[in-house]
Amino acid sequence: MSADTLNLAAEGGGGLFTPGGPGFEAPSVGIFFPEAWSWGDYGAGSPYLGGITKYAVLLLVATALTLLFLWWTTRKQTKVPGRSQSIGEIFFLFIRTQISRPMMGVKGDKYLPLLISLFLFIFAMNIMGIIPFLQLPVPSNLSYPVGLALIVYITFIVVGIRAHGGVGKYLKSAVVPSGAPWWILPLLVPIEVISNFMIRPATHAIRVFATMFAGHLLLATFAAGGWYMFNPSAGPVFGTISVLFSGASLLAFILFTAFELVIMFLQAFVFTLLAALYIGEAQEAH
Amino acid sequence: MLGLAAEEQNVLRIHIDELVFGLIAFVVIFALVYKYAVPRITKMLDERADSIEGGIERAKKAEAEAEEARQQYREKLGEAHRQYSQELEKAKEQRAAIIAEAREEAQVEARRIIDAAHAQIEADRQQAMNQLRIEIGTLSTDLATRIVGESLADSGAQGRVIDRFLAELEQADDAQQAEVR
Repeated sequence: MSADTLNLAAEGGGGLFTPGGPGFEAPSVGIFFPEAWSWGDYGAGSPYLGGITKYAVLLLVATALTLLFLWWTTRKQTKVPGRSQSIGEIFFLFIRTQISRPMMGVKGDKYLPLLISLFLFIFAMNIMGIIPFLQLPVPSNLSYPVGLALIVYITFIVVGIRAHGGVGKYLKSAVVPSGAPWWILPLLVPIEVISNFMIRPATHAIRVFATMFAGHLLLATFAAGGWYMFNPSAGPVFGTISVLFSGASLLAFILFTAFELVIMFLQAFVFTLLAALYIGEAQEAH
Repeated sequence: MLGLAAEEQNVLRIHIDELVFGLIAFVVIFALVYKYAVPRITKMLDERADSIEGGIERAKKAEAEAEEARQQYREKLGEAHRQYSQELEKAKEQRAAIIAEAREEAQVEARRIIDAAHAQIEADRQQAMNQLRIEIGTLSTDLATRIVGESLADSGAQGRVIDRFLAELEQADDAQQAEVR
């Protein structure tokens, strides 16, 4: 939940049961547009530039967190692993046995660094949404997941071209379903092209963006609602009711925060899994 | 700035600069993972797998060696048992032989002693007989002298006395001889 919303609710003063007080204003999409710290004319007025916003700062934090995790889990390597080394190894093996091997087999092991980077980076960006005071998941700005989806997109196309030995051969294998009768191809090929080369990267990026966006909005709504309903000065009866309402909202906020953590992990996992699936598919010679 | 942001709140915005920031951050992370983290982790995992395999192999070898040593030990133990029983057997035989020998020797010795005793007795008897004969001769001579000296009147009677005396002597001698036999 962003400070703006808190301020908005706080400025309203009255809250629930205040006669003539402000109505409840649910958090708007405005919370996903933090103010930019700008110098000079940088970013001003352009629809393609965001400037240095809270997102950029949180991106830095997430990157630092990821690098710290990597350093911490691999700095000491011994045959009998310590705690941090074990965590690193468990994570490495988790990515390998849960994502890489089922999707790409043993020959996909060379893409492990990519998958590990993707998972860690996305998870770190996601959890920015539930770290107190930061509380804004970086992928709720579509620019960031699009960058990562683009990397995966380029990677799987390059891998496909290499694996099939030429652009033409790869495209043929990717858009012409094997075993389909010739007369259905005019219908199938456009569908395959759209599905494999347009919808696929778009959904890849939007999936994590949308869940982070919605999750954050949900948490912000619970927080703002709880704040709005907290009005103990409304009299003995209404005051008690308002506090109870507020408490319920707070409880929901906490529960949904825990739920969000699961979703954050899951979305990082799904993004990485799909990346492995796409690369594995491109790798496969039909 | 706030006004600008509020103006165009397009949720599906893609800002080039933010996209580039994200890419740079990802490249930094990827570089560290690719160059540093993954090689280290895979290297250590491989090394560990190697050493575990090596450890299993070593354990197998040690087991085989132990088994061999146990076999040798068993053989030696069996051999020792055999030797022991052989020695025991030999000792028993020796003991029996010694006992038999000793017994034989003792018997021989006993016989020798007995024979010697017999011979001694015989010799003593002979000697006694001779002695006796000499004494009897002397006695007879004495007797004869006395008889002759004191009275030769009754020469006939004297002759009978001497005869009878000698006959008795003879008889006693025979009886004694029979008794010894």
